Amino acid sequence: MSMSSKKPLVATAVLAAAIGAFTVQACTSPPSQPAAPQGPVVTRTADGKPDFSGIWQALNEAHWDLEAHAARPAIVTQEGVYPYEYTRVPAAPVLALGAAGGVPGSVGVVEGDGKIPYKPEALKVKQENGANWIDRDPELKCYLPGIPRAMYMPYPFQIVQSTNKVHMAFEFTSTARTIHLDEVEGPPDFTYMGHSVGKWEGDTLVVDVTEFNGKNWFDRAGNYHSEALHLTERFTPIHKDAVQYEVTIEDPNVFTAPWKISMPLYRRLEKNAQLMEYRCIEFVEEFMYGGLRRQPLVKRWEGENMIVEITRKVPEGEKLYEWYRR
Amino acid sequence: MRNGFRRSVMDPLAIVVLAAVVVLGLARVGGLSLVGRAQAPVGEAEKAGPVPRTSWDKPDLTGIWTNSHDIPLQRPSKYKDKEFFTDEERQELDKIRGEIVSQDVRRYGRGNAQDVGGAYSTNIFLSHKPTGKRTSLITDPPDGRIPPFTPEATERRETVRNFVLELLQATDTCKEKLVGCAGGKYGPPSPKYHDVPPFYIATGAPGGGLINRSDHPEDRTLGERCMGAILPDFGGATGFYPQFILSKDALSIYYDTGQGQGWQRMIPITDRPHLPGHVRLWWGDSRAKWEGDTLVVDVTNFSPKTDYQGARENLHLVERYTMKDANTIEVVVRIEDPTTWTKPWTVTQELSRQPDKANRHYKEPRCHEGNYGMPALLAGARAEERAHARGKGPHPATLCSAGCGGFAGGFADDGEESNPFNR
Repeated sequence: MSMSSKKPLVATAVLAAAIGAFTVQACTSPPSQPAAPQGPVVTRTADGKPDFSGIWQALNEAHWDLEAHAARPAIVTQEGVYPYEYTRVPAAPVLALGAAGGVPGSVGVVEGDGKIPYKPEALKVKQENGANWIDRDPELKCYLPGIPRAMYMPYPFQIVQSTNKVHMAFEFTSTARTIHLDEVEGPPDFTYMGHSVGKWEGDTLVVDVTEFNGKNWFDRAGNYHSEALHLTERFTPIHKDAVQYEVTIEDPNVFTAPWKISMPLYRRLEKNAQLMEYRCIEFVEEFMYGGLRRQPLVKRWEGENMIVEITRKVPEGEKLYEWYRR
Repeated sequence: MRNGFRRSVMDPLAIVVLAAVVVLGLARVGGLSLVGRAQAPVGEAEKAGPVPRTSWDKPDLTGIWTNSHDIPLQRPSKYKDKEFFTDEERQELDKIRGEIVSQDVRRYGRGNAQDVGGAYSTNIFLSHKPTGKRTSLITDPPDGRIPPFTPEATERRETVRNFVLELLQATDTCKEKLVGCAGGKYGPPSPKYHDVPPFYIATGAPGGGLINRSDHPEDRTLGERCMGAILPDFGGATGFYPQFILSKDALSIYYDTGQGQGWQRMIPITDRPHLPGHVRLWWGDSRAKWEGDTLVVDVTNFSPKTDYQGARENLHLVERYTMKDANTIEVVVRIEDPTTWTKPWTVTQELSRQPDKANRHYKEPRCHEGNYGMPALLAGARAEERAHARGKGPHPATLCSAGCGGFAGGFADDGEESNPFNR
C-alpha cells in the first residue's frame, strides 16, 4: 500500500477499511478461526517466528465497554425528564464535555451472546462500579492499567521482540509488560500487570497471564475481576499489519464460566509513528488532590450556555475522604 | 514462590510508613524501594564469555543490568588528582560508609524535624553497594568534577536558593543555623511565603528547589509526587535495575528505579530526525543508531519541568552503549547544556548483568498508587493553617517539612556522619 507521509491518518483509514471486512467478521461471527482464508503475509524474524515488533493500537470501543451496547450520552448520567434508563442525561462532572463525553455504541468484543457471564453477586458489583465510575475506575487515577485492558486502551503500544522476550511498552503512564518465552521465576508479589509466560504454537503467540492483584478493571463500564484472574492470550498474525488478539478469561470468584474476547490490533503505519509520553500521574493531581490545595483552582465552570458548580455528596464509607477531612 | 518480607514491603501499609518520611521532606530522593532484591552481579569474579550477538548480528544488550558498585558522581576533594582508589582506600570507605548507614536508631536532637530523618531505617530501605574503583563517575573533565556553571545558571540557582531560604527562615533549621539554612538567616515568616516559585519545583537537588511549603502538590518535589525518575539515571541508594530488550528497530529500557518510580523508555533505532522543537518531554526524545558495535543514542527535547544537576530543557545527552563482554555494558554519556555549564562533561559507568531467570525486575511502579503521603501532607498543612487561624497552633511558616536537614539517604548533612563521597 502506498502512503503519503502528509496524510498518515488517511493512510490508516485506508488500511482500516482494507481490513474492515475481517473486523466485521471478527465481531459478528465466532472469531475462533482468525486466520485469513488465503493465509496472511507475515513479517518474520531470522528464526522464522512472526515478528510483532512495531507500534500497535486497537481500533474499537472495547475500552468503553467490552459488551455489546448502544451509544449513551455520557459515562456517568443522572435521571432525565422521564424516569427511564434510556432517557438519562449527562451528570454534572462530565456535562461540559458535550458530545465528546458520549459513549459510542459497539457490537462488543465478547464472543457468543456478547454478555459477560457474571455470578449474580458479581453482576451487582459491576453495576455499582458503573454507577460510581468517577470514584472507582483505576484508569481515572492513572493507576497501572492491567492486562488485558492496556492492550485496547485508546493509546498506542510498542512491541519490542527479542529472542526470548516479547516486550510491550504502553504509552499510557509509561508502563510495560514483558512476555517471557524463557524460564523465569514469578514476581515476588501479586501485580497490576500480571506475570506473562509465552510460547509459540505455530504462528500464534500463546501467553499465560497470572499473579494479578485484582485491582484492575476491564473497561470504563465497571467490568472487573478478582486476583484469581487467569488469562490465556493468543496473538495470531492475520495481515502484515494486523494481529488477531484473543483472550480467554477465567476468574471463578467473579464469573460462572470462562469467556472470550477477540479483536484485531492494527499496526500504526505513520512513517514517523513513535510512542509518546502520557505521564498522567501529573495530569490527575488536580483530580486526586485538588481539593486539598490551600486555594482550590477548580470548582465552578462557566460556559456559553450553562454554569456548572462541582459540588457532590460523598458516599458514606469513602474511607480516604473521611480520613482527609477529619 | 512469594517471599514474606518482599510482600510486606510492597504492602500499601509499608508504603504509608515510608511516605510519612517522604512527607517530611527529609528523604530527598523521595519514593519507595526494596533492597535485598539485587542478586550478586554475575560480572567481576567469574570469567565472562564473549559478547552475545542477535540473529541480525548486533551485540545483544537484552538483559537485566545494574551498577554493582557505588561510585561518587564527582570526585571527593580529598582524592583530587587520583582517578582510582587503592584497594585500601576502598576498604576504608566501605568501613566508614557501612558504619554510618547500618545504624538502626539515630537521633538528631529530640523532638525536632531533623530527628525524624534518623527514624528511617536506611539499612532496610536503601541500598548501599561496595565502593567502586573509580574516584568519580565523571571521566571528563579529568578532574572528575562537573564544569563550572554559566553566569545564567548561577543566577538561576541563586534565585531558587533565595526563594528556598525565604520559606525556611522562620523555622528552627535557620534558628539553629543548620546546614539547610546555609546562606540564610533566622527571621519572621516571609511575606513571600505564598508566592509562586520563580522556577518549576523539580528535584530536591540544589537548584531544583526543595521548598518548605505544601500549598499545592506542585510545591513538593517530583520524587514526592512519584515523578522522580529522570534522565540520565546513574543509580543511587533507591535502587537501579534497567532491563534492556533489543529488537532491530528499537531498544527498550525499563528503569526499575527510584523506589516505585520505575518507567518505560523507548529508543527508536532510526535515522528519523528528532520531534519538532516545541514538543517537550519529561524524558526527552531519543534517537539511536549503531556505530559499529556501539549503540549511540541522542537525547533532546527535554521538558523545563525536569532537572538534572541544574540543567532543564536545554539538556542534551549522547549516550554510548558498548558491551565489553557477556556480562558488562559500558555506558558513556556526554552531558551538555551551554545554558547551564561552561563546557560538556562525560560520565562513564559499567553495568553488570543480573541473572535473568531470577527475574529480579519489577514493572510495578506503585509509588503513585500508594502515595498516601501526598494527600496526607496537604491535609496536614491545611490542618496546621486551621489550627493557627483558631489561635491553637504555631504559624505554619515556622514548621519545617522540607529542606530541614537530617539523615537524608542514610547520611548526616555534615560532620562525622556525612557521606564520605561528598566531603
